Amino acid sequence: MASIAAKRPAVRPARGSGAVRIGIIGCGAIAEGAHLPAVLSSPQVELAAISDLDASRLQYLRRRYRLGPIAFRDYREVVGRVDAVILALPNHLHAPVGVELLSRGIHVLCEKPLALTRHECEQLCQAARSAASILAVGFVARFFPSTELTKQLLESRFLGELQSFDYEFGSPGGWSPLSGYNLARSTCGGGVLVVSGSHVLDQMIYLFGDVDVISHADDSRGGIEANCRTLFATTVDGRPLRGRVVLSKTHQLPNRLRIVGERGTLEVRGGRTRSVTFVPSGSTLRHEITATALPPADAEPDYFQLQLHDFVNAVRTGTAPRVDGEQATRSVVLTECCYAIARALGEPWCEATLERLARAAPHPVPEAATPQPPALASAP
Amino acid sequence: MRAARPRRVLVTGATGLIGGRLCEVMALTGAFEPRPFVHATGSAWRIARFPLDFAVGDLCDRGSVDRAMDGCDAVVHLARGDDGVMRRGLENVLRAAATHRVSRFVHISSVAVYGSEPPPDSVGEAAATRPDLPYGHAKLEQERRVLRYRKRHGLDVVILRPPNVYGPFASFTLGMVNTIRSHGVAIVDGGRNPCNLVYVDNLVEAILLALWRPEAPGQVFHVTDPEPVSWERCITDHAALAGVNVPRVAAAELVPPAQERLWRDSLRALADGEVQRSLARIPLVRRWFQWLPEPAKRAARARLRRWEPVGHHGSPERRFRADHPFIAGQKRAVTHSSEKARQLLGYTAPVSYDEGMRLTEAWLCQAQILDVSSA
Repeated sequence: MASIAAKRPAVRPARGSGAVRIGIIGCGAIAEGAHLPAVLSSPQVELAAISDLDASRLQYLRRRYRLGPIAFRDYREVVGRVDAVILALPNHLHAPVGVELLSRGIHVLCEKPLALTRHECEQLCQAARSAASILAVGFVARFFPSTELTKQLLESRFLGELQSFDYEFGSPGGWSPLSGYNLARSTCGGGVLVVSGSHVLDQMIYLFGDVDVISHADDSRGGIEANCRTLFATTVDGRPLRGRVVLSKTHQLPNRLRIVGERGTLEVRGGRTRSVTFVPSGSTLRHEITATALPPADAEPDYFQLQLHDFVNAVRTGTAPRVDGEQATRSVVLTECCYAIARALGEPWCEATLERLARAAPHPVPEAATPQPPALASAP
Repeated sequence: MRAARPRRVLVTGATGLIGGRLCEVMALTGAFEPRPFVHATGSAWRIARFPLDFAVGDLCDRGSVDRAMDGCDAVVHLARGDDGVMRRGLENVLRAAATHRVSRFVHISSVAVYGSEPPPDSVGEAAATRPDLPYGHAKLEQERRVLRYRKRHGLDVVILRPPNVYGPFASFTLGMVNTIRSHGVAIVDGGRNPCNLVYVDNLVEAILLALWRPEAPGQVFHVTDPEPVSWERCITDHAALAGVNVPRVAAAELVPPAQERLWRDSLRALADGEVQRSLARIPLVRRWFQWLPEPAKRAARARLRRWEPVGHHGSPERRFRADHPFIAGQKRAVTHSSEKARQLLGYTAPVSYDEGMRLTEAWLCQAQILDVSSA
């Protein structure tokens, strides 16, 4: 995989020493459910603008959260009012809006995925570099203590020689974007591999380094895939390592990452953000491992606020955020690689009866009535 | 009125089991162009696998229903929800369908309109309806509303009444597997009664036919699998997939429904000798009992003797609840027939029970609901 290294010029910090003026661009479900609470409860930032095309949505948010006259239908109106923005627009708008705002000197915390294509990602990174603006990307799972703990355990060779890794994440349905952009490839960029998988791919690259795609199968029929199975290969400490990713939006899966090494198996479970589990080889005992520096268990932090503060710190000091544009580009590149070699996931229950059911159509059957062949995997 | 052979079909409830499969079949065969009406976009993953013409909105919002109906030739109404969706939602869809002069309105009802113990003549559709649960009442009220639109507005409506729908993604299938795994179901009195099943693709066939067959308007059809399958066979087959043995019990061993338990446990408490002695020490109770005529006294004594003391409640052999849907359903003695659909619609039910179960098993394995190594 090609390296996406880039020089980081000195970043222009936010003006003054007071709270950073933040705008939220795109006021859908994730903005209201995660970013707005994080911003409103943070002493480090001041909510200076919200923007959405839907006027009724803006009105609702202003009333619900008792906001001042800071709502704008045109995102360009936030320029001059904010130091930084959280970009929570539909995926296909990340690049055009992000490039414009970065170019105008506004720091951007962009929701994941950074953009739909590698090319768009590079445009965003270039815009950030040229204007000396911060570009951070909202991979909130990177702020879970369990992610950092796993990284440390792998770096310390806790498991010995690594043998395989296995991601299985799935649940029926999920987040319901209000605009419905998630229903189309053109606006979402893909299906479960983008929506859930971007977190998985980003974490996988963070833990194991750059990986190659061996095979990818999904159930897209020209739309977005709801299920996918992907095999990856990489090299760790000079030794080959293979891994599997299974994702679903139609059924429940164990929601865990399993890493198998010569000394045992490490398990990182979804929803358990503070610890990981270790089962030594040949043993049935399960050991729970927790980072020593964690606050008490009943004080679960708001990870979106941790992400926001990391972004604010980068804005103030000019240092890199935890996940910058270059890092986030890698998962987009990997997604493109998967879709480029996609083949159809077998669904016998879907195909077996079609010919018989087609006979129930009014006659003459329309030209397109021939049952479609199963090989209709994701098209990039 | 639009063409009798519709092309573009608005499908409400498109994110559910039947609506999802209907959209899939329409898209894959090209027989119709589905326009799925979607409320929660996060629930639409199965149909979003296809590049369809989605309408995002709320059935209770008249404007969004009207916009979704624009350009559609027919409607399949499958949406379920709270009282608002069942009443106002349906009214909005019917009104929009009449306004846009669609050629066909296919409404999916349920055999629940016959109640938990359907009358023997509900083999056919002409039997009297007598729902006894909220879902059956809601479905019957919907049927009446749909038929009123035919009478008042000339809307060509068709009503389909399926029984238990099984197959990939079916809550009946998932519920059966999970209940068997949690040991919550038993075969009662040999499980001889009919299970009244329809494989989801057979129901889809009936919907496709109802959308255009000229004999359909104004009619109510049962849509069932023609092959009779007993509860014993259905439960045993699902248990084999789950790798669990299901016990057999007699109806008398079931834990009665809550209301019945309330009376029974109260009487059991009264049957306790200590309680009776305490009551007998209360002058008012003693006086009241003495006032009773002798036959009533004898009957009361006999009735109390029938009940065993409270301490026996909850013994392990009585762990199956009589009101669990998979146990209560075993009391239904009627086989609802789809003969009328066969004759008028040309319904063939192309998927046999064996094939339906094979396809269901394939899905259960891929969805990792069954352990592939043991299935």
